[in-house]
Amino acid sequence: MFSYSIVGAQLYVGDMLFVMLSFLVLMWLIKIIAWKPITKMMQNRSDKIASDIDSAKESRTKAAELAATRQAELQKTREDANRIINTAKQNGQQQREKIVEDARNEASNLKSSAEKDIEQQRQEALANSRKDVASLSIEIATKIISKELNADDQKGLVDSYIEGLGKQK
Amino acid sequence: MSGGTPSTFEFLGLTFNVGNMISILIACAVVLGLVYALSRHLTMKPGKGQNVLEYAVDFTNGIVNSSIPGATSKFLGLWGFTLFMFIIIANLEGLFLHIDVSGVAYVKSPTSDPVVTMTLSLMTMTLAQFLGIRKLGYKGHFENYLKPFVFFLPINLFEEFTNFLTLGLRLFGNILSGEMLLGIIVGMAHGGPVIWIGAFILELVWTGFSVFIGCIQAYVFVTLSSVYISRKIELED
Repeated sequence: MFSYSIVGAQLYVGDMLFVMLSFLVLMWLIKIIAWKPITKMMQNRSDKIASDIDSAKESRTKAAELAATRQAELQKTREDANRIINTAKQNGQQQREKIVEDARNEASNLKSSAEKDIEQQRQEALANSRKDVASLSIEIATKIISKELNADDQKGLVDSYIEGLGKQK
Repeated sequence: MSGGTPSTFEFLGLTFNVGNMISILIACAVVLGLVYALSRHLTMKPGKGQNVLEYAVDFTNGIVNSSIPGATSKFLGLWGFTLFMFIIIANLEGLFLHIDVSGVAYVKSPTSDPVVTMTLSLMTMTLAQFLGIRKLGYKGHFENYLKPFVFFLPINLFEEFTNFLTLGLRLFGNILSGEMLLGIIVGMAHGGPVIWIGAFILELVWTGFSVFIGCIQAYVFVTLSSVYISRKIELED
């Protein structure tokens, strides 16, 4: 019934239906077997690649930040160390100067006090001897006055005095 | 294609061609087996088979997406992939295996029969009309036939018909001529041992060329189908 002529071939309507049906079934089967999983996998992969790129970028910036902070901290630590060393040096210098100064002061103190002592002792010795001379003079004078001025007495006095002197020595 | 009448039978008042049916079933089975074998053990890091399949998918997606932009192409990707695989396998089928029994071809390229190619072409055109109406609505779709002027209506209708005709006949003609020439070369080979060697070399060359033609025609068919569909789903200025 459907036997038209197209380019010398017969038109088989049954074949047309068969082609359509088999094509549609083929499409459906491919969809189930391969299309869905493969497109899903490709989608997953592109998602993963995108997220990997993002996270790589993120971690790179993080690493750069970390390096920068570390560099800054290193710099800071170096400055601290320098400052500490400088302070220690200064302290040492000051202390040395102070110790030397103290020693010098003490030495001069000792010297001056020693001089003072000597001076004092000299003064005391001088005062003592002056006192001795005075009392001796007084004693002599008393002895002279207590004896009457006769020759014998005088002689005796002088003798006793001399004796006294000898005794005293 | 030796000129004998094909073996047919009638069922529910419809005429079926046994040779076509066998060939189509073989083509479908080969496509399905190929796709099934390549799509086992899908992993994030693709293996050999998966790479081949993904390359094919990317290739057909590229064809479809380059002419049809936007959201409709998710279904069209599957459609383009199936169409491409089916046509390329169908084109090559007759080059590898061609069984004639007393002048009746039982296994050949299904695409060397105009009924098959015109059916594929008709399906494409139907799909284009359907997607056009779904995208633009009946009004927008049929107004496209009146553009740029009302007088273009017959030209547009005629163009629609010629698109349908050329899409199917191009594929059919290319594959039929390839098979026909192969048949003639095989016929020549019966002439004697010297001619046999000459025919063998000629056959080799022509088969290689036919493989090339078959791949090109599959690509052309999918590309043109995409173009026809894309022209239906956008409003003409």
